[in-house]
Amino acid sequence: MSDTPLISLPPAAEADLVRRLQARDESAMTLFYERYSSALYGVIFRIVKSEDEAEDVLQEALVKIWHAFASYDSSKGRLFTWVVNICRNLSIDKIRSRQHRVGSRTQGLDDSLTALRQAAPATFRPEHIGLQEITQKLIPEQRQIIDLLYFEGFTQSEVAEELNIPLGTVKTRARTAIKVLSKLIR
Amino acid sequence: MEKIQDYIESGILEQYALGELSAAEQAAVEAQAARHPEIQAELQRVQEALGFYAEAHALTPPTGMRERVLGNVLAQIAAPTSTLRAEVDAVAQANAPAPEPAATMAPAHPAAQEAVVRPLSSAPVASESAPRSTWALAASVALILSLGANALFYSRWKDASASLVALQNDQARFAQTSQVVERRLSGLRQENEVLRSEEFRAVALAGTKTAPTARARVLFNAATHKVYVDVRSLPPLPAGKQYQLWALDKGKPVDAGVLTAATALGEGLQPMKDIASAQTFAMTVEPEGGSVNPTLSTMTVVGNI
Repeated sequence: MSDTPLISLPPAAEADLVRRLQARDESAMTLFYERYSSALYGVIFRIVKSEDEAEDVLQEALVKIWHAFASYDSSKGRLFTWVVNICRNLSIDKIRSRQHRVGSRTQGLDDSLTALRQAAPATFRPEHIGLQEITQKLIPEQRQIIDLLYFEGFTQSEVAEELNIPLGTVKTRARTAIKVLSKLIR
Repeated sequence: MEKIQDYIESGILEQYALGELSAAEQAAVEAQAARHPEIQAELQRVQEALGFYAEAHALTPPTGMRERVLGNVLAQIAAPTSTLRAEVDAVAQANAPAPEPAATMAPAHPAAQEAVVRPLSSAPVASESAPRSTWALAASVALILSLGANALFYSRWKDASASLVALQNDQARFAQTSQVVERRLSGLRQENEVLRSEEFRAVALAGTKTAPTARARVLFNAATHKVYVDVRSLPPLPAGKQYQLWALDKGKPVDAGVLTAATALGEGLQPMKDIASAQTFAMTVEPEGGSVNPTLSTMTVVGNI
């Protein structure tokens, strides 16, 4: 973990990829796929917790991303930030509509945490360490909050309600957790 | 400088990066970031940290997923196939399919191109080299016809599967939209029940000196102790603050919960904490998450039952 995140391209290469995608160069899509699919798939899988559904969401997200490229503004953030958020939103919409369909409007926290634990698949790429190290550096309370915010699509107020702790505490823990993460990058 | 630090500490940048904010709130954060390099740097740090967390969860996709997903995506984003279809139709309608139409549709697909080119180069060789080339020629023509038909069926099949995927997407999108509508409807139905119920008493809260135009309403059910709040208009909040509702029971303030940003903007009824008994309701501006005791100087609206 000596340097910057693994998936992010060097700025010049990223700018070139963005330029080709915005020029609607279809061959650049294959390049984009090679570079980002495992990270995007990992995030989607963590949210929807099913291989088949994750694959469907990834496909839908890629088509959506392709059509939305014109609206990507590199001054607002890295390409990965933008695409991973599209994938997150799509996945969270999926689980929300699924919960709605089943009729269990709010999945109990215990259920969702158990599901999270069970969902940790055996196929984590060991070369993409990070996770091991992160688990050691974040205290469980911080990790729980980050996971609820990032993978379950909870708002900070919803986390406060779900865990029955003050909103201020949620904010502090989220901020501290993010600080820990950004120290790990450096 | 201190204000900037407060802004950063308020946690709004995390909310921005996690996608919790409305479009208007997002635009406000972006404007702040554009104005203050410190905010911009912090925002970038937060986004990178979350990106790093996301990347740490990277998974090797199941075998065969690349072909399926990338294949379907490329088929869906491919340029419109109308010209290709016209050529395919031309081939289908031609009475005596000569090598030319087959050649014109060759660029349609690399596989077709490769397949068609080979017999073309071999045909003239066959006709020059031997007089008994009639059979060879007939075989070549048959082969060309067969290859042309294959290419035709292949491209039709591709078209069909691409349209199927597009239709499935449309259907999924429609189902999603109707679910969102349904969800909103059930929310509205609930609000309507509260509004129509005779057990709920509407308490008008009028603006105080600090905010004369502020208006809100509390719906209070003395029997079930349920409390809802409904905002008409409240002054915008400073960063890191939230409106908090208080019930005054014999002059003693009881916390009735904080208002979400959407409620404060008047987007609908919000259920608050149950209140056993009250004579007056009032709202104050408190740090996010609410306070134990009301900051009376910030009282914005108040009303008696």
